[in-house]
Amino acid sequence: MGIRALRKISFFHLSFLSVTFFITLLLLLAIGSLFFVPSWEDVAQNIWSPEMRYSLRLSLITGFISTALVMLFALPIGYALSRFHFWGKGFVKTITDMPVAFPELVLGLCLLLVFGSTFVGDFLNSIGLNFVFTRKGVAAAQFFTALPYAIRIMKSTFDYIDPRMEFISRSLGYSQFETFFNVSLPLAKNGILASTVISFARCIGTFGTVLILAGGSYMKTEVLPITLYLNISYGNMGMALTSGIVLMVVSFLAIFIFEKTEVGF
Amino acid sequence: MSFLKIEDLHLNLGEFFLQEIFITLQQGDYLAVIGPTGAGKTLLLESIIGFWKPDRGRIHLVGKDITDELPEKRRIGIVYQDYVLLPHFTVYENIAYGLKKKEKEKKRIREKVNRMAAALQIDHLLHRTPTTLSGGEQQRVALARALIVEPKLLLMDEPLSALDPQTRREARSLLRKIISGSHTTVIHITHDLDDAWALANKVAIFKDGKMMQFGTLQDVFHCPTNRFVADFVGATLLEGKVEERKEGFTIIHVDDFFLVSLDESTIGESVRVAIRPENIVVCKSIPKDISAQNIIRAKVEEILSEGTTCVLCLKANHTAFSVFVANNAVERLDLKQNDAVYAVIKASNVRIV
Repeated sequence: MGIRALRKISFFHLSFLSVTFFITLLLLLAIGSLFFVPSWEDVAQNIWSPEMRYSLRLSLITGFISTALVMLFALPIGYALSRFHFWGKGFVKTITDMPVAFPELVLGLCLLLVFGSTFVGDFLNSIGLNFVFTRKGVAAAQFFTALPYAIRIMKSTFDYIDPRMEFISRSLGYSQFETFFNVSLPLAKNGILASTVISFARCIGTFGTVLILAGGSYMKTEVLPITLYLNISYGNMGMALTSGIVLMVVSFLAIFIFEKTEVGF
Repeated sequence: MSFLKIEDLHLNLGEFFLQEIFITLQQGDYLAVIGPTGAGKTLLLESIIGFWKPDRGRIHLVGKDITDELPEKRRIGIVYQDYVLLPHFTVYENIAYGLKKKEKEKKRIREKVNRMAAALQIDHLLHRTPTTLSGGEQQRVALARALIVEPKLLLMDEPLSALDPQTRREARSLLRKIISGSHTTVIHITHDLDDAWALANKVAIFKDGKMMQFGTLQDVFHCPTNRFVADFVGATLLEGKVEERKEGFTIIHVDDFFLVSLDESTIGESVRVAIRPENIVVCKSIPKDISAQNIIRAKVEEILSEGTTCVLCLKANHTAFSVFVANNAVERLDLKQNDAVYAVIKASNVRIV
C-alpha cells in the first residue's frame, strides 16, 4: 500500500512537472530565438542607427515620465481602495481595473475619442496638452495602460499592512498625512518598488494604445514597439529583432526585480 | 467631575456592535473589561481612541467632549495584544516615535527614552529590531511607547494574553508597579479573571455588544446582578424570598433551605443571592461550635481538577453550588462523587444583589 501510494505521488509529481518544464522550454526557445537568430554585428550596427537611438531615447523619456505619473496616482488610489469604505467603491474598482482586461487597441481608441473632439480634449488643448498624434500622447497612452497594474499592486500592498500600525501612529499624535509618510509608505517600499518596475515595463512595452492615440509616425512618435512594428512591415528584420531584444532585456530586468521584492497581486 | 464619561454609546459595524454603553471613571481608576470573544470589547477601545465614530452617544475626557476630536488630538495611548510594533524602526525609534512629535531636542528625547527603558527593564534592547524580540520584551516596548508620551488615558487590548504563565505573572507585577507609579487611568481588556483581580479596581462585563454589569471589583465579583455575569465571574446566583429580619440578619428562603445574610432587605421581597465559590467551606460532618450562620447539606455532583485547586460541584436539593478547594483538601477529606457534605458559609458572604 505504501509503495503504491508513493508511486501515485511520483506520477502526480512527474505529470505536473512535465507540463511545467515543457512550457518553460518552449518559452525559453522562443525567447532564445530572439537572441540567436540575428547576427550580432547587425544588432550592434542597428542599435546605433539614428532611428533606433531616437526610438530608445523617446521610449526611456516617455517611460520615466509616465511611470512617475503612474506611481503618483497609483499610491493614493491604491491606498483609498485598500483602506476606505465609500459609496461606489465596487464601481470605482471595476472601472480602474477594466483596462487590464481591455485590448490595448480598444483602450487607445477610447483615449483617442476622449482626447479628440470632446470637451475634455478641447479643455486639455486650451492648456497646451494635445495628446492626439503627439509625443505627449505616447506618455498618456503608456500612463493609462500601466496605471491599473500599479493600482492593483499598491492596493494589495496596503492590504497586507496592518491598519493598526497606522492607528498606533495617530494615537501618538501624528496626523493621517504624517502617518502615511512615516508608517504606510516605508512599510510599502517593496510594493512601491515592484509596482514601479512593472509599470515601467508596461510603459516601455505598450504598443496598441500608443499606435492608436499617438500614431506610429517614423522618428516622431516612434517608441521601441513601434520600431519593431514598422520595421517588420518594411521587411527590415534586423531592426525589428534589435528592438525586440532591447524590449526583452527591459522586461527581463523588470520581472527579475519584481520577483526579488516578493510582492504579488 | 468624572475623568472619563461614556454616555449611551452606540456603534454598529455589522458583525461587531456596541449598544447602550455607560462608563464613568475617576482619575487613576483601572478598569478591567471582561467578556467572551466578539463581545465588542476591542470596538469599545477603538471608539474611545477615535478610530470609529459612534452612531450615537458622547465621550467626555477630563470634562471635554472628545467624540468628534481626531485620534491624534485625544492623547490616549493604546497597547494591542500582539503589540503592533513598527517593524521598520528599532526598539529605540519605536519608543521615541511619539515623543519626537512634541519634543524637538534630541538630548531630552534620548534621556526620556533611556529612563523609560530602564523602568521597564528593556534598556539593553534599544538597538534591536522588533522582530528579534520575545513576546514579553515586545509587550514592554509597546507599553514604553504608549507611556512615554504621558497619555491621559491608557487603553490595553489583552496585553498579557500572548505571554506564557511565568512571563505573564512577571508582566502583571511590572504593570502594577508602573501604572500605580504614574497614576495613569487605564482600561484593560482581558479574558483572564486573574488580571482583573490583580490589577483592576473597576470591572465591566460585556456580552454581545452590551455591558452586562459595571462597578467596583468587589461589586461585580461578589454581587453579580444577572446569571451571565455570575457564571462569567464564577459566582453562584440563587433566587429566594426574604422570610424574616432578625437581630440584623436577613433570613432568605431558597429552594428547601434557608440562607442567612448580613445585607438588608424587606420581608416578603423576592431577591437574588450571590455567593463566591472561594467563600464556601466544605465539611464531611456537621461542624460544631462554629460562628458561620449557614450550614447546608449537599451532595458532591462532580469534582473538576484545575491544577492546584479543585472545583466541587455541589447540589442541595435542586440548587447547584460551585466551591473552590485545594487539591490536597480533596485527598484529605477523601471526597468522591455522590458523597454527602456540608457547605459552610458566613452570613457576610451571602450577598443580596
